[in-house]
Amino acid sequence: MISMLELEGISKSFFQKMAVDDVSLNLYEGEVFGLLGPNGAGKTTLIRIINRIITQEKGTVKYKGELMKGKHLASIGYLPEERGLYKTMTVFDHAMFLGRLRRMSRSEVVTSLTYWLEKFEIENWKNKRIEELSKGMAQKVQFICSVIHNPDLLILDEPFSGFDPVNVELIQTELMNMKSKGKTILLSSHNMKSVEEICDRVALIHQSKKIVEGNVTELRKSRKDGSYALRFRGSILALVNGLWTGFELIDKEEIGKDYFVAYISLREGYSFHDLLKVAIQTVEIEAAWEVLPSMQKIFIDLVTDKSLSC
Amino acid sequence: MKISWLVALRELAERIKTRSFITMAIIGPVFVLLIAYLLFVVGEKNKPSWKVLIVDPTQIMENKILSNTSGSIKYDFINSYVQLKDFENGTRYQKYDALLEVNEKVLSNKVGYLFYREKPSLSFATSVQFHLERRLEEILIKRFTKMTIKEFRRIKQPISLGFRNIYDPKNESFNLSGWVGFFFGGVILFFILLFGMTILRSISTEKSNRIVEVLLASVKPRQLMLGKITGIGLAALIQFLIWVIIIALGLMIMRETLFQDMMDASNWNFSQMTQQVKHQTISERLMHMNNYNDFVELVFERIKYGNMLFYFMLFFCAGYLFYGTFFAALGATSGSENDGQQFVIPIVIVLVIALWAGYYVLLNPESSLVYWFSFIPFTAPMVSMVRLAQGYNSGEGYQLFLSFFLLVLSSLFMLRIAGRLYTNGILQFGHRLKLAQFIKWIQNG
Repeated sequence: MISMLELEGISKSFFQKMAVDDVSLNLYEGEVFGLLGPNGAGKTTLIRIINRIITQEKGTVKYKGELMKGKHLASIGYLPEERGLYKTMTVFDHAMFLGRLRRMSRSEVVTSLTYWLEKFEIENWKNKRIEELSKGMAQKVQFICSVIHNPDLLILDEPFSGFDPVNVELIQTELMNMKSKGKTILLSSHNMKSVEEICDRVALIHQSKKIVEGNVTELRKSRKDGSYALRFRGSILALVNGLWTGFELIDKEEIGKDYFVAYISLREGYSFHDLLKVAIQTVEIEAAWEVLPSMQKIFIDLVTDKSLSC
Repeated sequence: MKISWLVALRELAERIKTRSFITMAIIGPVFVLLIAYLLFVVGEKNKPSWKVLIVDPTQIMENKILSNTSGSIKYDFINSYVQLKDFENGTRYQKYDALLEVNEKVLSNKVGYLFYREKPSLSFATSVQFHLERRLEEILIKRFTKMTIKEFRRIKQPISLGFRNIYDPKNESFNLSGWVGFFFGGVILFFILLFGMTILRSISTEKSNRIVEVLLASVKPRQLMLGKITGIGLAALIQFLIWVIIIALGLMIMRETLFQDMMDASNWNFSQMTQQVKHQTISERLMHMNNYNDFVELVFERIKYGNMLFYFMLFFCAGYLFYGTFFAALGATSGSENDGQQFVIPIVIVLVIALWAGYYVLLNPESSLVYWFSFIPFTAPMVSMVRLAQGYNSGEGYQLFLSFFLLVLSSLFMLRIAGRLYTNGILQFGHRLKLAQFIKWIQNG
């Protein structure tokens, strides 16, 4: 795996309050990396350090193996959480200005803007002033402006905030497209569903420190609690009566008439196979799977775990 | 530098499209022209409308005379002799304010007489003389030469002869020159305040709508700040250029229409002044000329526009850069737009002090404070313009350049300080601005 971005021992404080404390991360080419953490954890500060907007007090940032310098910013795209646009400028002028700042030529900006406007089917917005656009429309323009220079590394701070579900889907699809083209994406988000869906690896920042880093699936597997889910047709009472002492029904979800999903934990010495053998005699099983904790749950568990908070 | 230039061009494009820019570009110079016109007119106050009866029994003038463009003098002809007693008391002559006697000898002795009821102003006297002189000129050319009037007037070159007091050869006591400098310095301060506030507002807006973070991902804070100051400064220069063009055109039009007579040097041909003027000494005439309309003479004859505009540009650029850095730093470090505007008050006070310093220098050109005011960067743009207009004493010319040099040096120093404040403050939101924080940010380079 080729390292795209390497952060080592990054620390930064504001007026004697630590914002980022000795954080190290490694992003590889072609992966989507999620930076998670509650509000005020230090994610935005870390992202600003990567973008050279602020300077770290300690540690180093390397881009493709080289110490990060101003010249590297031309191949990094950045969509900040608190993003704005010049209200009186047109979409075209905006893209031209930001593209030129990213050292693109005029013709390159025009070609790239045309590509993105066509892709999002918004060609007729080109000459509209930003103040004429709705919030969602403006966010699409902001996204286009952050990728207009075809960056190798895209850093997105809360990219889905304010988007309706259709647009969240649209942006997610675009991010996956970019990933398939070998681009690296670092995203900070509170939208755990999106994180689960698109991130390969995540790191959780809490109280200025990195507390967890790893592959999303492995992280979820590592925190599984041995429960399973059964989707079946039939009576829930019949299932419960049929369960032996080795199993415990922990939750149920009625999805139709005599149609349920039951969440069952196994006691020691019992296996998934044993569960299926019991259940199949009482109800009509449609599906069964091991329950992995959601990223949302892991996130909440981790940030509320007092042992990690100090 | 290229990045800063891109930022500057965007800023410039945004500024010149605003309604306030266009309004100022029109209202500003029109206001200045209006003030100038009022001052011109005040110089001509008490100038009545004159009705002059030309007594020309031998019809030398063929009942023709150069028309008076402003319409303040009306001529009528009579081709018979009029006794002075009749003119004085006759009811048919009561409507005339003056009688201009043109007898048959006028072509040889070049003497005419004007009898007035009320003592006329020099303006009237010179106008009547000019009209008569021009008409007689036409008659003389026709009678005694083969030249056309056009040819004659082409070779006729009036000489502008300056009269100076031996005790004041530079005419330094002519205080109006200093006022010109005060005006130019005032314009610098006015533009600094106007466009400084634009810098402050622009940065505050970028901060509050969060576009600044997008920009900072590709532009260094200092580049952004410099680009912003440069762009708004260019807008200010364009605004000033529009002012210069409109004011220059306005003055030209005034000169060619409203004040044509007064500006013609041939009006001031003392050898052929009317009797009233002839009996005055030269210095009295000059004094009258000044009293007649100092401001007209000042604007059209005395201001060295090239010189003043050149130094205006230099001091404007350096002064704007110097003060602009304060506005930029304030915009970047304030927690909210209101916070920033509150802290503008000290800068405005400093600008008012600079204005006062200019006034002080105007009234006390020999004071030792003048020397110090010239070198303090806060007051230098204003004071230098006043001193330049007043004229530097022999051997003091270096002070103008030293003053400019120190101003540029201070601007560069401030650019560095403001750069630090900008870098540290631009991404801080919602805080209350405190002096201790300011100092910390300055130290944190």
